[in-house]
Amino acid sequence: MASDLSSQSPSSDEEEEESAGQKPKTAVNANSIDNSLDAIENQLSSISFNTPIDERTAPSDDHHHESESLSETAMNSIGESSSSRRSGLWTSNLEVEVEAEVDGGLASPSSSGYAGERGSSGSVTSGSGIDVVREVRDNGSSMGDDGAVVLDSSEAQWIRGKRHADEDDASVSWRKRKKHFFVLSHSGKPIYSRYGDEHKLAGFSATLQAIISFVENGGDRVKLVRAGKHQVVFLVKGPIYLVCISCTEEPYESLRGQLELLYGQMILILTRSVDRCFEKNPKFDMTPLLGGTDAVFSSLIHSFSLNPATFLHAYTCLPLAYATRQAAGAVLQDVADTGVVFAILMCKDKVVSLVGLQKASLHPDDMFLLANFVMSSESFRTSESFSPICLPRYNPMAFLYAYVHYLDVDTYLILLTASSQAFFHLKECRIRIETVLSKSNVLNEVQRSMSEGVLRIDHLPVDPSARSGSLFHLNQRRPSETVTGIGGPAGLLHFIYRSIYLDQYISSEFASPISGRQQQKRLYRAYQRLYASMHDKGVGPHKTQFRRDENYVLLCWVTQDFELYAAFDPLADKATAIRICNRVCQWVKDVENEIFLLGASPFSW
Amino acid sequence: MENYAELVNYIFVASNTSIAAELKFIDFLVILCAHWVADRSAGRIGGLNPVNGDSDAKNLRVKLVLLGDSGVGKTCIVLRFVRGQFDPTSKVTVGASFLSQTIALQDSTTVKFEIWDTAGQERYAALAPLYYRGAAVAVIAYDITNPDSFHKAQHWVKELQKHGSPDIVLALVGNKADLQEKREVSVQDGIDYAEKNGMFFIETSAKTADNINQLFEEIAKRLPRPPPS
Repeated sequence: MASDLSSQSPSSDEEEEESAGQKPKTAVNANSIDNSLDAIENQLSSISFNTPIDERTAPSDDHHHESESLSETAMNSIGESSSSRRSGLWTSNLEVEVEAEVDGGLASPSSSGYAGERGSSGSVTSGSGIDVVREVRDNGSSMGDDGAVVLDSSEAQWIRGKRHADEDDASVSWRKRKKHFFVLSHSGKPIYSRYGDEHKLAGFSATLQAIISFVENGGDRVKLVRAGKHQVVFLVKGPIYLVCISCTEEPYESLRGQLELLYGQMILILTRSVDRCFEKNPKFDMTPLLGGTDAVFSSLIHSFSLNPATFLHAYTCLPLAYATRQAAGAVLQDVADTGVVFAILMCKDKVVSLVGLQKASLHPDDMFLLANFVMSSESFRTSESFSPICLPRYNPMAFLYAYVHYLDVDTYLILLTASSQAFFHLKECRIRIETVLSKSNVLNEVQRSMSEGVLRIDHLPVDPSARSGSLFHLNQRRPSETVTGIGGPAGLLHFIYRSIYLDQYISSEFASPISGRQQQKRLYRAYQRLYASMHDKGVGPHKTQFRRDENYVLLCWVTQDFELYAAFDPLADKATAIRICNRVCQWVKDVENEIFLLGASPFSW
Repeated sequence: MENYAELVNYIFVASNTSIAAELKFIDFLVILCAHWVADRSAGRIGGLNPVNGDSDAKNLRVKLVLLGDSGVGKTCIVLRFVRGQFDPTSKVTVGASFLSQTIALQDSTTVKFEIWDTAGQERYAALAPLYYRGAAVAVIAYDITNPDSFHKAQHWVKELQKHGSPDIVLALVGNKADLQEKREVSVQDGIDYAEKNGMFFIETSAKTADNINQLFEEIAKRLPRPPPS
């Protein structure tokens, strides 16, 4: 079980913006692509794209399975075949083409143009030099890096907007980015790129489009291309193509899930009605419609490695005394009864309370995307706003209207309605809610919980007889008690408990030694792999998993009711770890009415 | 672009009247309910207009909408006027923000501006009617260093002349007047265009606060006064 993680190079989990220390190849020959594109495009018109919602990997390739080394250099491409024979043909064609690029060292003009694995000397050294500098800077601050060694003078500006907008596919720095995200139209027009200017990446987009339509012409769909350490993951959503190119060794399912969220974020802003723009005009340019949303997407991509909601598909609540959450829920319920579709009170990315006429139908992914949108759009902090918003899982075709108001620096209220005329009504609702919340001290409690971080592993009751039903008075007598080892008892470092029934998860506060962002990111990546392997339809379902590597002992336990992911010190004893996991589950049960939002509405489940 | 605007309009209609095929019965009920409440609580002219109960000859209450291309400084103008602040980092407005500010005139009347600061992004163009419907004042802003934004302003003027309230007070504002060395739209062009269209014209700088209060005072003076009762 331990083989999987230990086979990876320790550098693989570093900041993804960092260079991978690889040598780029020559630029794409745009002309030859354009020529071949025209031919491909003619054929394209006869293809209809179908996008089943729940499609999964073809079981043919278990690249993430434990027994197989992740560092293999052979190429695999997974095709979703409608006719297996042709699939084989196209697949092997594709392999040859990509392989030629990787092994040849020289780029062929018709190849994708993406940086391959090996290159000829030279900038390898300079690349790793930059690497070191970036690493230092990334550890020093939570802000991202800049392509150049020179510090950017206007930091505040570029952390919100797009970074490295000056790059394109010919830039060395661009090619060294560890994780790229692209969105393009079915005619090959760029829509979004994580790094670089979309318009300068037209040639590169066309190449991606050519790969996708080449495979589609064979009645297939390309899902994944592996080229050495790089994975190229494709997702086709009607006329919109999404591509991730990554050498972060995340499982295919995770990357694909991230593309789904990226698409969802776009739908949240525009609805799926954009599809019809492409029907009317296949060469439609979508970039102007997304004007000013760079911060939303960079924050989304950022959270892929720092927010477990992105792979758990569950939301998390801020731990609060039961009565406090009840008070918040009651005032929201009053408002919901006056025609608000959903009323959500959040503190950063955590739910304080949530009420709706149909709570069950507010999907955790929608909630995550909505919170990301609100938190990354600075203008919501300035004044109260009224904005159209689409919840992709609720109804991807229609807008709801969101009234958004920050009650304090971290806490905000979102009221969603179907009526474009409801602003003044919602404003009155907000005033009422705000008055009640501050009178009943809820806002202070929220602030306190946020700053104190109550669910701490060193508070885990080791002695079953010392159980307490509340996190909050426990909190007060804490200082006098001793802490066992590093972090929690028996080397427990961190855990995530996901309640399947509630669509919610709870995650313990980070403590030493997982206090830095890099360590947190590495742990989340490890959880992500664990999640993917536990949910792999091909080999599962698994009930428990125990793995040990140089960083942690990871223990995962999946039952019908919950999933537990726990990380221990790498020297932790297996039997003790299992015992501690049982304790954690018991603890979560004991305090569940403080860490979860339990059915406030009788119709919710 | 117009395609998207049309489609979005269609969707708004669909979602409001719940003919969207995707909606289940329960959604239907919810929307009906929302609609009913909204219609009850909103004014008759349009839901984004405040209930005009406390507006009289001495204390005016007016709806003002701010339109213009993205990045011309609409939000900066409003924040300078309402809070006396200027934040040089650009914060893209989402949908529309609502702010209000009351000013006192020399003739001892007060005017409360209820300001809809709209997003300049293209995708929100379809939404503009929601905010300018029933507005007594429309301030159309452009950036004097950006001729495209001046053209966009003219587009907004035409749209308001067509679809705005007939007695709407229109103001044309050339913002970023502190950037004289980068000026690309002459003062005369602004004056000429405003004159031709019966608008009030002023150049402002949200950064230096130049002419910001003047803009709103001038608007207040031009408002049609309700007859004293």
